[in-house]
Amino acid sequence: MSLQLKEESGSRRATDRSRRRRRSRLTRLDLKFSPYAYVAPFFILFAIFGLYPFLYTVWISLTDESPINPETNFVGVDNFTRLFGDDRFWDAVVNTLGMFVLATLPQLLLALVLANWLNRRLRGIGAFRMAIAMPIVTSTAVVALVFGMFFARDYGLVNGVLDIFGVDAVDWRANRWRSWVAISSMVDWRWTGYNALIYLAAMQAISRDIYEAAEIDGASRGRQFWRITIPLLTPTIIFTVIISTIGGLQLFTEPLMFTSGSGALGGGSTGQFQTITMYLVQTMRTFNQWGYAGAISLVLFLMIVLISAINFLLVRRLGSDR
Amino acid sequence: MTVTMPARPAESGRQRRFKGGREPSGAVRRASPLTIGGLIVAAGLSIMPLYWMLVVASRTSNSAYQWPPAFLPGGNLGANIERVLDNPDAAIVRGIVNSFIVSGTITVSTVFFGALAGFAFAKMRFRGKNALLLAVLVTMMVPIQLSIVPLYQMMGELGWLNDIRAVIAPFLISGFGIFLMRQYSIQAIPDELIEAARIDGCSTWGTFRHVAMPALRPAAGVLGLLTFMQQWNEFFWPFIVLADPANPTVQISLRTLNSAYHQDLSQIFAGMVIATVPLLIIFVFFFRQIISGIMEGATKG
Amino acid sequence: MSVIPIRTRQTAAVLGAAALLLAACSGDDDDTDTSDTTESNDGTEEITLTVDVFGEQGFGYDALYEQYMQENPHVTIEERGSGLGVGDYNDRLTQWITAGEGAGDVVALEEGIITQFYAQLDKFVDLNEYGAADLEGNYLPWKWEQGTYEGFALGLGTDVGSLAMCYRRDLFDEAGLPTERDEVSALWPTWDDYTAAGEDFAAAGTDASFLDAASNVYNSILMQEAGNNSGYTYYNTSNELDLDNPDIRTAWDLTVGMIEADLSAGFESFSDEWNAGFASATFATIACPAWMTGVISGAAGDDAAGEWDIADAPGDGGNWGGSFLAVPAESEHPEEAAELAKYLTSPEAHIEAFEQLGNLPSSPQALEDEGVLAATNEYFNDAPIGEIFAAGAADLSPVHLGPQNNAIRTEYENALRAIDQGERTPDEAWEEARNNASGIGGG
Repeated sequence: MSLQLKEESGSRRATDRSRRRRRSRLTRLDLKFSPYAYVAPFFILFAIFGLYPFLYTVWISLTDESPINPETNFVGVDNFTRLFGDDRFWDAVVNTLGMFVLATLPQLLLALVLANWLNRRLRGIGAFRMAIAMPIVTSTAVVALVFGMFFARDYGLVNGVLDIFGVDAVDWRANRWRSWVAISSMVDWRWTGYNALIYLAAMQAISRDIYEAAEIDGASRGRQFWRITIPLLTPTIIFTVIISTIGGLQLFTEPLMFTSGSGALGGGSTGQFQTITMYLVQTMRTFNQWGYAGAISLVLFLMIVLISAINFLLVRRLGSDR
Repeated sequence: MTVTMPARPAESGRQRRFKGGREPSGAVRRASPLTIGGLIVAAGLSIMPLYWMLVVASRTSNSAYQWPPAFLPGGNLGANIERVLDNPDAAIVRGIVNSFIVSGTITVSTVFFGALAGFAFAKMRFRGKNALLLAVLVTMMVPIQLSIVPLYQMMGELGWLNDIRAVIAPFLISGFGIFLMRQYSIQAIPDELIEAARIDGCSTWGTFRHVAMPALRPAAGVLGLLTFMQQWNEFFWPFIVLADPANPTVQISLRTLNSAYHQDLSQIFAGMVIATVPLLIIFVFFFRQIISGIMEGATKG
Repeated sequence: MSVIPIRTRQTAAVLGAAALLLAACSGDDDDTDTSDTTESNDGTEEITLTVDVFGEQGFGYDALYEQYMQENPHVTIEERGSGLGVGDYNDRLTQWITAGEGAGDVVALEEGIITQFYAQLDKFVDLNEYGAADLEGNYLPWKWEQGTYEGFALGLGTDVGSLAMCYRRDLFDEAGLPTERDEVSALWPTWDDYTAAGEDFAAAGTDASFLDAASNVYNSILMQEAGNNSGYTYYNTSNELDLDNPDIRTAWDLTVGMIEADLSAGFESFSDEWNAGFASATFATIACPAWMTGVISGAAGDDAAGEWDIADAPGDGGNWGGSFLAVPAESEHPEEAAELAKYLTSPEAHIEAFEQLGNLPSSPQALEDEGVLAATNEYFNDAPIGEIFAAGAADLSPVHLGPQNNAIRTEYENALRAIDQGERTPDEAWEEARNNASGIGGG
């Protein structure tokens, strides 16, 4: 669009130059400036909805801003000092990391196994792939509601099945570990198939020659899987770990919808499944402490950067090893 | 940060995939009965919650609380859907319309601007290109949670609270989209073609329109599908800014339903069926593209 | 070359569909605002007023709306929020008021949240400007006082929440306890007696628990104690946090005693499972402010009609809950909205809401109304709700609730539930609740 404008004004200025020279100059301008015009929309939008709010968050985290306080005061690093002594925040950190591990480890292991199975010759393998990938169409809200029913204390399917084996009804929401298991299972269910497909893609990219050579050397299939497939998949595995990390540290909908009372943002009676993001929203919305919420979001961001940086270094190291 | 991912599947391996589900014989092992059994269990577990949703949605509310549970769908699906559509508090019809508008707008915008910027990053020379590309990648790491307080205030000042513009604007262009289109441009648009277009007198815009866009179409389709699915399922930000139960997205309708009609489970589940069906249809029809998108995004991203 | 084998036709179809949606979007933008469209019609301005309420069945205003719209043909009334829990509603309302956008023309303020808005009076209309001052006599004095702040009439009283105790006749019968309400009332003159009755009930070995949730008993005792003693809960009357208020400890200790006697079903009140518990008769009693009767009949459903009954609450008096109607400053029709708020809080309207849902009037005229005093509730085995609730309402003493009352209350409720679930000892839970509460109240 901006290009056409340039063309018009350019043509007016260049009336008595030769057509050819004008064209080439235009082309040069076009080549020089158009790329910026093409990437600019992204940066403009990011400046408005990313950078500016970020800077504002830094400012707000140094104040006691609250919608229910008439005036806002500059409080320096008070919010951060409070944060480091805030048991509830650290509980939320532990919960988030705990559920992240519980959700990610079994999920990725299962996905590896599934990918290995899917990487076989079988009539109708496409149907299996479709079925296993289907959970990704379900929204997290729907997953949380369905699984919330499975894990209901009094009428839940899970407790019903446990009952058959003589296990007493379990209150899945009451206890830290149990609630983590229930919530992690939602994440597992939704994402295992997705990761299996990613691994499958990587497996299919491995040259068959390697396996054939191994076969000639007499390596068993199990050995081939552990010695060839897994090492060659390592970069892909790390990729899925990174994606799961970013998602896992922002876990929100599943634990939120796991309870239905008015204090859902609190994540259970002792905050046993309150994640960092839930605490952030609770601080902002229920406690009306905007300044403190700003501090929490900055620390959350730093955690994401830190963990991603570790992952990045890991990727580089593994990349250079090969 | 993911730019250095070394996992590039060999070209031959990639071309082998997705030919009507037939795998080249000989290269791939035949599935053993144990594997088939495992796959059946996995597929069953994957589908079961969705099936259960349909079962509860098609029976009466009381049957959700009975033991042993009902395993077959009942005959009340139509009635339950009618009830949830007529429910004035959850505004699910409005939610569906809003979700289509939100996801559709974001999809079109993400694809268009992603292609434009991706093309520029892949095929044009300009100062600071690498730095800018790195900047794009870094922004992919910034979650919206980081700035909910200022963004919320901003939406208030714009008068967009309770307005779907608030959930559209921040997501119109994605770094992921740009990156995906850049990766695809590199291999899908031959430099000779661009050269030829230029000799024919095409401006860069003309080149983008007549050369790049047609070549990028497959990737655009995939990016569009993934974006649409992601936006349809988005919960966090709409939950923050769309406080008016009369003007929700479909996911927010579900939460309102759940907090307000807890004792009427079949109605809630009917709402969930409605919220899931559009994506399920897209999924079944575009299964190949979606799957290849996931695989491509991962192995290239 | 094309690695992703998507067919052009399909892509075009997707993009085409999306483009249609985009077009739909631009056409739709203009009418996304909630209400307040003004159209000229025969000279009179046609307006729409939005009323925001909450609760299982709303506020019982449907007939009143009809009548008001008949008398004022230029006004259309739309209600939002029926079915919405008070917690969700409060979160939303706070957002709307703070942003100065999104709220209806008339909004309900629950007693736990109205104090929070004393600090945001500029966001509301002073109803005195529209003649509310003349109506002071229509409300119980303490209710009027709660709704005003330094001469600014923020909200007009709707209902109050006189305390009673609801119980299930069939479960009491099964446990060998008396079932007639007078005899049941006689079982528990004090909360200790209530606990003792609970122990008898538990000893009888029915499948059900004696009470629904520790939090409901706790809140009831606290409001009762505060009304009789300190006059406030977590904040003193200067709005400073006072977690050493002995009334909190009294309510806490009594409740912990009940938990330790294993009387509680351990639900989180207003959760899915709590609601389902009504339908399946999982508990035998529930602390019952007047508005709770509407919650019970809604959640327990028609199948349980006649099974529930209402006895006196243990202890002396007490009020928990009740609301106000206010007009946010953002309303485009403040005058009409104020008129509607006045109408909906008139003595006649109080009577109508009482008849609909059992919400106890805060208007002395309505409380003296013969119909109200003689009212019975069919669902609750024809309990004389007029007599039970209305009789003591006039003598209730006000309890001051501070700005973050609801958030702090939730902390104490959660701590009690954690004891109930066996996740915390009472001492740990007390400490945790105190710490969390100071975090909320201090910032």
